[in-house]
This record gives sequence, structure tokens and C-alpha cells, in this order.
Amino acid sequence: MTAPAAPTAPAPTAPAPTAPAPDAAPRWRNASPDRRAPLRRLGLALAVAAVLGFALFPVYWMVSSALDPGADGRGAALLPSGITWDHFRHVLERGGFGRYLLNSALVGAATVLLAGALALFAAVAVARFRFRLRTKVLIMVLVVQMVPLEALVIPLFLQMRELRLLDTLLGLVVVYVALSLPFAIWTLRGFVAAVPPEIEEAAYLDGCGWWRMFRSVLLPLVAPGLVATGVFSFILAWNEFVFAFAFLQDRSRYTAAVGLRYFAGPYATDWGAVMAGSTLITVPVLVFFVVVQRRLASGLAAGAVKG
Amino acid sequence: MRPRAGSAGSAGWRPRPGAHRSAGGRSACRRLAAPECRLRAARPWLLLAPALAVLATLLLWPLLRLLLLSFQEYGLREIRTGESQYVGIDNYRALLNDSFLWTTALPNTVGFAVVCVVLTVATGTLVALLLQRLGRVWRVVVSAAVMAAWAMPAVTGTHVWIWIFDPLGGPVSGGLDGLGLIEPRETNWFTDRWSFYAIAALNVVHHGFPFVAITVFAGLLTIPRELPEAATVDGAGAWQRFRYVTVPTLRPVFTVVTVLSTIWDFKVFAQIYLMPGGDGTNPSVLNLGVWSYVRSFGRNDYGQGAAIAVLLTALLLAVTALYVRTLFRERDER
Repeated sequence: MTAPAAPTAPAPTAPAPTAPAPDAAPRWRNASPDRRAPLRRLGLALAVAAVLGFALFPVYWMVSSALDPGADGRGAALLPSGITWDHFRHVLERGGFGRYLLNSALVGAATVLLAGALALFAAVAVARFRFRLRTKVLIMVLVVQMVPLEALVIPLFLQMRELRLLDTLLGLVVVYVALSLPFAIWTLRGFVAAVPPEIEEAAYLDGCGWWRMFRSVLLPLVAPGLVATGVFSFILAWNEFVFAFAFLQDRSRYTAAVGLRYFAGPYATDWGAVMAGSTLITVPVLVFFVVVQRRLASGLAAGAVKG
Repeated sequence: MRPRAGSAGSAGWRPRPGAHRSAGGRSACRRLAAPECRLRAARPWLLLAPALAVLATLLLWPLLRLLLLSFQEYGLREIRTGESQYVGIDNYRALLNDSFLWTTALPNTVGFAVVCVVLTVATGTLVALLLQRLGRVWRVVVSAAVMAAWAMPAVTGTHVWIWIFDPLGGPVSGGLDGLGLIEPRETNWFTDRWSFYAIAALNVVHHGFPFVAITVFAGLLTIPRELPEAATVDGAGAWQRFRYVTVPTLRPVFTVVTVLSTIWDFKVFAQIYLMPGGDGTNPSVLNLGVWSYVRSFGRNDYGQGAAIAVLLTALLLAVTALYVRTLFRERDER
């Protein structure tokens, strides 16, 4: 169900490469896997090493610097000079980072619940009903997704100021729900459409009303989609910087992404502390990614490919 | 493969009148009493209402307000009194006559986006092709590493890249110093516009290639095995198979990842703002997004900041229009 559907692009008619001249054919036969195997394996190994290095080096450097007692003068030493939890203790106890993390978690959880509910209703509407303006609504959702959120900081700042929601976590939640809705609707629409209508019909034949069908049949079947979009919304809220930075003034209300900046002063940065804070922010996201890896990937692909 | 409700091809299944109640179309209404019929017609709108209300008040209205602000003089006084003072196109005239826009902010934004998109899509595609060639175990290992890069939040990733290129204690300057190539105290890559953006590009590509890699890889899995095999039998080499089989089959996927990357890379904010000097103290590295922010919140000139933001939005809408058109043209071809 979650497997990305085959792209429906027209199958390319025979790949018409420059019609192989008769004397070209043997060349390809020579390049049989057997003769080129060692070279190919070496090439693959190098490529794998390069990808692993590029992808993981920043993660490794972050975690090892967070644990290194002499992080600031570490230079190019590949291994940390020792292992210590001091940096973590420092940011959590004296830096108040625990409070920031809690704020981020609260904002993230509220965003997931609200955005999930709103998006599911909307997705059912566009995937299961035919009504006038349906395509227009879908296109509008797609276009709204492309609006540069950064451009909305100014008007939303003024709007939240007028609603007296500036410098509150609720104001952030409201904004994040709006930001994650278009993508969530678009993705969930694919999951709802993938549930065979016959299952719903069977529920109706068994005497369910619409609401009962929704709760007992549709909801469990689109649960994987809800997990995928929920993770997406959570990560969006957890990572978001611009709005939190513009809206929040009181330090006790900082989210983690904003609080981290407090340790990175313009001149003297305590890098061990910054890396410890960065690790604390990254780890939950990393865990989420590992847990829902497959669903997330196929959900994103489904949302992206189904257009 | 699954019902594509609403698209042109969805004529495949038509709800039989009355049998499939969720279809709620006019056809199902004929045999019902009027109130029930009206409820059925209203149901999709009831379901849509909360989401549409949120989108309207928090995305569409602010977008409109941004446009209005860009025609106003809006500073501290206006914030306090709530009055608005329309000044026509003054903000735009000042913006377009500002040589800073043409020599610095716009090139920084567009040039950076183009370079990042090319690098991101190329890296992602190469990684996807690599994943396809690997055995089971290594495929899991590499995709886990790619996921780790993806999972790293932009904010923390930026701090890590700053630390990696830190002129005093970072590994790059430490390593080059060890080789005797640089004098660490005299080298600061964050002050020069080009090296500043090279580091930012590294950061953005590292953050963006996993999405391309995973999406393209998912697309690659859907290509029937017979296609490349047939091409091989016809004598196609690896490049030809990629060029004439993979690319045409996955064109919708490539369109989507390219356009999404373009949109994301045009409006990078945190990755620039958090870098040393990126918050406006070094004007030569400002891009449109950061410039708009600094103008508004740093100098309390919200009208001018809004005009910059409108320019950025217009650029992005042009890209989006292209995206929607391409998507729909492809759908028509099917």
C-alpha cells in the first residue's frame, strides 16, 4: 500500500540508441561482468566510502566534539581527546536547555495532533468526494505549499502581535499547523485514495454510517500515512527557526532551535556546549527517521510523484 | 495501480448510484429526500472547512497583507498606532534603484540557488544509482547514512559546518595548518563572499541530497527490469541506459525533485543567517530572505522589507507556475 506507485509516464519506446553498428556489438560482450568485476567492486567500494564519509562526517564531528573535554582546541584530531558528559551537563543545568527541549516537544506534539486531524478530514474530502471546485482546491493547496514561508514572517509577526499571541508557544503552534497542512493534505490524499472503495462499501452494507465507517475502517487503514505526516509535522515544528526566532522574546519560552543560538556567541563560542546542544536536538529527529524510515520515504515519494 | 480519484483517468470506477454513498455526487442524490441530499453535498465542504480556514487566515491573508504592506510606509510608529500610510510604489522604486539588489542580494540568491540545485540533484541521483547497484546489506548501510544526513536539522547542521570551518579550532583549518598550507589566525573563510557561500553550499547540499537520493531511488525501483535489460541486449552502455531509459521514465520524478530543491534553495534563511556575519553584519553575504528580515526587524522598516519579500515570492511563484504547468502537461500526455 505504501509502495510508490509506478510512474505512469509513457514507457519509452525502444531506447533507440544510435543503432549499434555490427562491429560495436562485440565490444559490449567483452565488457562482461566477469572480466571487469574486481575493478567494478573497487569503484563501488570507493563510491560507498565517499557517500558514507560525506553523509556521516558532520554527524560524527558533532557527537565526538560534544563528548570531547577539550573540544575548543581539538583541531583536526580525528578522535576526541577523551570522553566526558560535562558539555551536556553544562547546557542542561546551567544553560537551561532542558526547558528549551521541553518547549520544542510541546509545540511539536500540539502541531502533530492538530495538523493530523485537519489534514485527514481535508484529505478524505478531496480523495473520496467529487464536488465542484475540487481540482481548484487541490491546486490551491499545492500552490500554497510553494509560498516562501520566510516571506510571511513580517505579516504573521504583525498578525500575532495584534492577537497578543506573540511570545507564546500557542502562536507558534498555530503557525506551524498552517505550514505543515498543505504537505500533509497532499500526502494523506494519496494514502486515502489507496484504500479500495470496496472496503468502504462493505462497511456501508454492514450498516455503518459515514462517521462509523470513517472511524473503524478508514482511520486504521490510513494510519501509516498519519504516522508519516505526523513525523513530518513534528520535524517541521522541531526544526523551525525563523518564526520561533522572530516571535519569541522571553528566554523561558525559547524552543531548542532558537536556544542553541544563545551558546554560539558572535566572538567566543563554547563549541563543546554548542555541539552538545546540537546533539540533543538532532537525536530525537534521528530516532524518528530510523523508526519510520521506510514509510517516510515512500510517503514523501507518493506525495511527490502522484502530483 | 490505485484509484486516482479526480484525475482525468479516474473514469475507471464510477460509483453506482446509491451503492457507494461516500461518492456523494449529484447522481446519488436523485433518490433521496432533499435535506439528506443537501447534507451529502455539504459533507466534503464540512470536512474541508477547518483546513481551509487555517490556510486562509494563516497563509493567504498574510500573503495579501504582505502585498499591502509593501505599498505602505510601516515602521515603529505605525506598529504602535496601527495606522497605515500608503505610499504607492515608493518601496519598489527604492528597491529596484538600489544597486545593492543587483550587485549583491539578487546574485547571491539566484546564483546560490542554481549552484545548489545542480549539485543537490546530481549528488542525489548519483547516490540513488549507487544504491541500486549495491547488495542488500550495503544498501541498508548507505541508506541509513543518507537518512542520518537528512535527519540533521538545518539549524544544528549549520552550527556543525561553522564549527568544521572554524578558523581557530576547526578540523579544516587545523588540518591545513598541519600541512603548512595556511596561517590559521589570518584565515577566516566567513568574511569572503565566495568562501562564505561555498561553505553554505556544502551545508545546503548535505542537507538536501538525501531527499533527492531517496525519491529517485524509489522511482528507480519502479522501472520494470525488462527495460534496461532490453536496452542492454540492444547494445546500450551504462550511460545510454541512463540517458534513454532511466531519465525519460523518471522524468516526472526529476521534475519534482528539481523544482522542490529550487524552491527550498531560493529561500534559505537559517543556513545563511546563523553563519558568522550572515545576520546582516557583513552586507556582502546577504540574500533576499535575510535582507528582508534584517530590513524589517533590524531597522524596523517593514514596508521596505515587505517589498523585498514580495520580490522573493514573485520569483518563487514563477518557478511554481512552471512546476504546475509541467506536471499538468505530463498528465495530459498520458
